[in-house]
Amino acid sequence: QAKAPAAMAKLILLCLNFIILSNTVEAVFEDQVGKFDWRQQYVGKVRFSHFDTHLQSSKKVLLATEKNVFAALNTRTGELFWRHVDRTGPEGNIDALLLHGQDAVLVIGNGRLLRSWEINVGGLNWEIVLDSGSFQSACLVGYQGTVKHVAVLKKASISLHYLSNGHQKWVENLPESETVDYQAVYSGGNGDVYALGVVPHSHITVVSYNVEDGEINKQMSVEAPWLSNIQASCAVIAKEMLACVDSSTASLYMLDLHVQSQMTQIPLQSLGLEVDPGFQPALVSTQPNPARPPLSEFFLQLGPEQHLLLQLNNGQIVVLRDFKPAILVSFATTGEKTVVAVMSPKNKTACSVNLFSAESGRRLLDTTLIFNMDPNGGKPEKLYVQTFLKKDDSVGYRVMVQTEDQTLTLIQQPGRVMWTREEALSDVVTMEMVDLPLTGTQAELEGEFGKKADGLMSMVLKRLSSQLILLQAWISHLWKLFYDARKPRSLVKNDVTIENLSRDEFNLQKMMIMVTASGKLFGIDSKTGSILWKHYLDNIPSNAAFKLMVQRTTAHFPHPPQCTLLIKDKDTGLATLHVFNPIFGKKSHITPPTLPQPILQSLILPLMDQDYAKVLLLIDDQYKVSAFPSTKNVLQQLQEMASSIFFYLVDSSQGRLCGYRLRTDLSTELIWEVIIPTEVQRIVSVKGKRPNEHVHSQGRVMGDRSVLYKYLNPNLLAVVTESTDLHQERSFIGILLIDGVTGRIFHEAVQRKARGPVHVVHSENWVVYEYWSTKSRRNEFSVIELYEGMELYNSSVFSSLDRPHAPQVLQQSYIFPSSISTMEATLTEKGITSRHLLIGLPSGGILSLPKMFLDPRRPEIVSEQSREENLIPYSPELLIRTEWFINYNQTVSRVRGIYTAPSGLESTCLVVAYGLDIYQTRVYPSKQFDVLKDDYDYMLISSVLFALFFATMISKRLAEVKLLNRAWR
Amino acid sequence: MASPGGQGAGALSTRGGSAARRMKWALELSLGNTRSRSERQGGQGDVIYPIGYSEKPVPDTSIQETDKNLVEKRCWDVALGPLKQIPMNLFIMYMSGNTISIFPIMMVCMMAWRPIQALMSMSATFKLLESSSQQWLQGLVYLIGNLLGSALAIYKCQSMGLLPTHSSDWLAFIEPPQRMEIMGGGMVL
Repeated sequence: QAKAPAAMAKLILLCLNFIILSNTVEAVFEDQVGKFDWRQQYVGKVRFSHFDTHLQSSKKVLLATEKNVFAALNTRTGELFWRHVDRTGPEGNIDALLLHGQDAVLVIGNGRLLRSWEINVGGLNWEIVLDSGSFQSACLVGYQGTVKHVAVLKKASISLHYLSNGHQKWVENLPESETVDYQAVYSGGNGDVYALGVVPHSHITVVSYNVEDGEINKQMSVEAPWLSNIQASCAVIAKEMLACVDSSTASLYMLDLHVQSQMTQIPLQSLGLEVDPGFQPALVSTQPNPARPPLSEFFLQLGPEQHLLLQLNNGQIVVLRDFKPAILVSFATTGEKTVVAVMSPKNKTACSVNLFSAESGRRLLDTTLIFNMDPNGGKPEKLYVQTFLKKDDSVGYRVMVQTEDQTLTLIQQPGRVMWTREEALSDVVTMEMVDLPLTGTQAELEGEFGKKADGLMSMVLKRLSSQLILLQAWISHLWKLFYDARKPRSLVKNDVTIENLSRDEFNLQKMMIMVTASGKLFGIDSKTGSILWKHYLDNIPSNAAFKLMVQRTTAHFPHPPQCTLLIKDKDTGLATLHVFNPIFGKKSHITPPTLPQPILQSLILPLMDQDYAKVLLLIDDQYKVSAFPSTKNVLQQLQEMASSIFFYLVDSSQGRLCGYRLRTDLSTELIWEVIIPTEVQRIVSVKGKRPNEHVHSQGRVMGDRSVLYKYLNPNLLAVVTESTDLHQERSFIGILLIDGVTGRIFHEAVQRKARGPVHVVHSENWVVYEYWSTKSRRNEFSVIELYEGMELYNSSVFSSLDRPHAPQVLQQSYIFPSSISTMEATLTEKGITSRHLLIGLPSGGILSLPKMFLDPRRPEIVSEQSREENLIPYSPELLIRTEWFINYNQTVSRVRGIYTAPSGLESTCLVVAYGLDIYQTRVYPSKQFDVLKDDYDYMLISSVLFALFFATMISKRLAEVKLLNRAWR
Repeated sequence: MASPGGQGAGALSTRGGSAARRMKWALELSLGNTRSRSERQGGQGDVIYPIGYSEKPVPDTSIQETDKNLVEKRCWDVALGPLKQIPMNLFIMYMSGNTISIFPIMMVCMMAWRPIQALMSMSATFKLLESSSQQWLQGLVYLIGNLLGSALAIYKCQSMGLLPTHSSDWLAFIEPPQRMEIMGGGMVL
């Protein structure tokens, strides 16, 4: 019997050998595409948007977003036609989007590039590099009825480009550009291009250029001591009339750009109008065709909910209509008709949109559209209108509404929501995966055992009733199966709703809780990717730091699961807690404590209160600790445990790492401190181990069958530093392995001539990090492994305070052929499965690299022992094999983070990659050793079994007959 | 089938003939069975032996002095059997090598199983040896032979690495150590 485990181990080794020899294939088969994985593509918060109008039947809406994405959406379904993702940061910033016919012209990177896209297929027409200078404004220039040019206004120059090929027609320096701040460019289609500049609180400068040769036709300056910003408070209306509005004098000012004159002042009071106190009024005009002057109608916004439609009629301003209340207004043109769409609040949960004729201000009949606001969403922020002519020549329309929570909704009359897109998901900050609850029936059974017994009879009745419920559920399940079987396969859809959510057999389906930078929380079903709940937290500061913690899982049935989100304003340091149920997204009735002091860090303890909620400790800037929940029970437990609760804080700005110990009165004492001088290097990141990580094997078997024990210190921290000197000869990165309890430094490594960004993964007994080597100009991986030696110091308990021996440190480095965006290690339930590193590449691929290749024990010279250990001989290059890409052709743009979670199956790890897109899949680092394969031939096996069974029966019978016959002979 | 009438009469006659040979039932008072009956049919005639008479000669079972040596020899053969197999086993062991694959495993299993089986049926073997005068010595030799055989099998297992004698064999049973301190924290948010 004693032989069994050894033989088993040998057999497993044999299997491993086989796996290694038989070329580890990770890729999915063709028929598995989309079976376990899904991808959602996003574009980000919309900055500019135009409906494609050059064709009546067009289904496109073009979006240029703050994520530097230019995309076309299908207006019927909300899906992407195409998408172009530019560089992040100011270099790819989209400054302007101009649409003319089938061409979309974009100014990119603060006037660095001018690009033209063909919008049908999303192909690039041309791209040119503009002269340097900070971008101000751009407009299409029409002349003699056709639009052939685009004008780009920069800080000190104006240039005109052909729309057909982008070539520069002319470029002119702007006069007096040192003093005058040119802000707007305008063309009315009569052969003049106007550059409008302002000297703040002094005068307006208007320079008119000839389209043909760039000659200055006219130049004038007009007194305007009240004006500081043209774009905010001025608009060109009708034929070359510049209209401005000023709140201090409460007047409209009109200036004819043709004639040198003074601005005519029209006090708003003369029109019977008044500006809301403290509101900056604004003007909105429309120019449906760049070859023609703008319309003489324009909007004047006087308050957050007051818009006026005004008309310039023979030099006189006429009020066509006063919209109050009106949140958003927009002009829209189809054919020759221009209408205005006005959104006004109806009640608390709905808004109505109406169309009005722009010329008369009269309401068009049957144009009301109701927009129901999501109670868990934000207020409408922008309104985009698509109008079209119906067959009876009346105007039909659709509106696209963007709300504060970055949701895009397209609505058709009379209020049918065609689609919604949650663009907030393009900026996921942090996420967690939570197990789904048991089904109602399972919970019922659990509840039966949970409750206190009250007599035999009632217990029997309770048991009978729960059995009845189970039977009912089973019958309904059978009925559903039967019902679905009759329907064609494509029609059978398992709609996941929040009501029928339940854990599956292997716990492969989980709830993904995603926190986005805009402050919107999402609950997403990991199997299908459908959004099950969303919750918008308003008044989230723009530079908030988030930390999401699971306080109670679904395992404690009568108590609902509970998540806590810590939101910290980085400016003030003050933090708030949002406590919610991760399955339904509802805010918990538990009132979180108010935190008057700035919070430095939080710490979730494995201690639980009597309601099974884990205790959350919050450390404030006085290094005092407060607990949540803070019941008597919890405080008592904390007092008992205080001497074994430690925490560390890393202040990157001061280069300080400190460790604290909790005192019984919930104050803290400093027990260690490490200073890293900030003049030389700064701390980039600190990585501890994941608390839910299990390590099955405590050591590694050597070739001579002895054991090299792993150094599994749960308190170990990997601190990464980068040099402040970025010169390629002197820059370096450092890595520090430090114990978080005692502050003892176990290992220190400095990589000279190396530069960040450093990506680091810390797990089990190893740390893997990646950096850029400036010396050899390549990306390099380095792995550190820690071993305790051939004997364990203490195999039953681990205490950082009682480990006299320093671990053995092994390190090896490799060359990686690509730069990387992010890195994470796979995680499984029991930690038996071998580990892989999931590497997000800038190309959009997610690579699953076996940890086996990053092993500092890889020998340079192969020996019998190393072969016995299955060590791969060292080679400096790590290859990227295409079958290692777990997302095959489903590119994930701008991966920022990868989240891994264990499933109920030991072989399976759930992976979510997020960035601009979200991609979810499963990985099997050691293949699916605990599940039958997808293509397992049940039919064949069972038919063979049955055939054999019958053959046995028949041959038995035949044998009997034969024996009998022989006996008779 | 083509002429049922004529042939039918022939068949009837043969059936009648066979019926004459194979009777519906018959009682034979002799010890003979079907075979003896067929022998009789073979032409030995209708000789009926008296009850208790056998055609074969009965061997003389009285013990003779010369057979005593034969029994001794035979018993030594039994006792030395396992020892004689050892060189053969050594050869097989050498040939099969130390790799773990199906044939060496089968060999080892057989090598280990046979002595164990023999040791289990020790009492039966002793009964065999009962007649010998050197019964105890022979039993001891037999035991030693089998023990040597199983020792050889164990040695083979050892050299193949199938015995859990190394610390690595018990690695899977080591529980992860319990954590004494609770630690957490991170960068200042």
